[in-house]
Amino acid sequence: MTGIDGRNVRKVVVACDAGMGSSVMLAGQLRRQLGSCPVVVEHHPVGAIPADADVVLCHTALTARARSRAPGSVVVGFRLFLGDPAVARVVTAVRTGGRVDDAGGS
Amino acid sequence: MAELYAPAPAAGDAGFKARVQRFGGHLAGMVMPNIAAFIAWGLITALFIPDGWLPNEQLAVLVDPTVHVLLPVLIGYTGGRMVHGQRGAVVGAVATVGVVVGADSPMFFGAMVAGPLTAYLLKLVDRATTERVRPGFEMLIDNFTAGIVGALAAIAGVLAIGPVMRVFTDAAGAGVDALIRHDLLPAAALLIEPAKVLFLNNAINHGVLGPLGVAESAETGRSILFLLETNPGPGLGILLAYLCFGPRALRPSVPAATAIQFLGGIHEIYFPYVLMKPSLVGAAIAGGGAGIVTFMVTGAGLVATPSPGSIFAYLANSPRGAHPGVLAGVVVATGVSFAVGSLLLGLGRRDGDEDAGRTGGAER
Repeated sequence: MTGIDGRNVRKVVVACDAGMGSSVMLAGQLRRQLGSCPVVVEHHPVGAIPADADVVLCHTALTARARSRAPGSVVVGFRLFLGDPAVARVVTAVRTGGRVDDAGGS
Repeated sequence: MAELYAPAPAAGDAGFKARVQRFGGHLAGMVMPNIAAFIAWGLITALFIPDGWLPNEQLAVLVDPTVHVLLPVLIGYTGGRMVHGQRGAVVGAVATVGVVVGADSPMFFGAMVAGPLTAYLLKLVDRATTERVRPGFEMLIDNFTAGIVGALAAIAGVLAIGPVMRVFTDAAGAGVDALIRHDLLPAAALLIEPAKVLFLNNAINHGVLGPLGVAESAETGRSILFLLETNPGPGLGILLAYLCFGPRALRPSVPAATAIQFLGGIHEIYFPYVLMKPSLVGAAIAGGGAGIVTFMVTGAGLVATPSPGSIFAYLANSPRGAHPGVLAGVVVATGVSFAVGSLLLGLGRRDGDEDAGRTGGAER
């Protein structure tokens, strides 16, 4: 999927290889940042992303796998686990509206 | 900050990388959900075996059945679940029992084959039967198809899969022994460190090194294989090099990343810093190799997989007497990786920042 309006996002999935380490860390941060929004933030292995994910965040090294696993979700790749602008853009879009586009990685 | 990023690799490359990652992800995915059981086994082993902190014969009887039966069965169960849900998990566990009985060493690779394979067979059987079952007979058919598939798989495990996987496990163990005997183990860093930053860290550690290491540790009480991929030193050295000599825009994020990597054990956090400047993989290789040399010289090893690769997991998993060697290997790896990393970052800046935008050997 190519894009979605941030206000329509109900579920954000942070994915990493095992779904146990870095994704849990980033999901915790996002949950705090999105606390006031009607959004569920979950973490999963990149090979087990649930079908109802609106937006999937994962490192750009894993976006190819994320896109083949979750063709119906907007996949946003980031490069830094702390303070990545791509992640910040998704947070802003979910909080105040604006488009979230499929981007990053291959 | 975007200009600090290295460009994405070519698409064909990514396709291959994704395939390797996916295969490795399957292997690691069977082990990682069960890490707590490995830790429990490691703690019991470190405490109660004759060389342990609190030798206790009565409690040491836990060690063997846990590593020879419970851990492989958990892997087979999880592998089956990945293929075919709860039903797949059950037949995967049954099939794994067929593989582990009669084996001298823990049959992790056998479990990784038998679990998913049996679940896949059941999936095929289920696909063939569900359409044809008369109303009211679903439970009977479901229970007996799974029971029969599981029984057959367990028999096949004893007669065929077990012996084959035993040969494979023995060959892999002998290969590692040869590497250690000929002092070639440090060269493993040449493979491990580049593969790590391409997010193959779990595949390598939990898919390959961990199972081999548990087999060794079950015999000798420790294994150096647990230390190869999990050493937090190389990553710490690179992060410290960034803190001192990296691009100024990135430095503020480094202290938090350092704590998460070294104390929290989430190594993924430093991969982006290497991917941004791929030549830094040289620092990781040098640090990793130097760490392995130190581990070998000091005879260091851990009882079980330190997962996550945090310094705390290292200390908790060190058998009695191994702490100095384990710590020395971490310190040396950190120092070497920091020195080489600082050099590479310093040189990169002298050449202008174009170095930072080039992809190098790390993409292979």
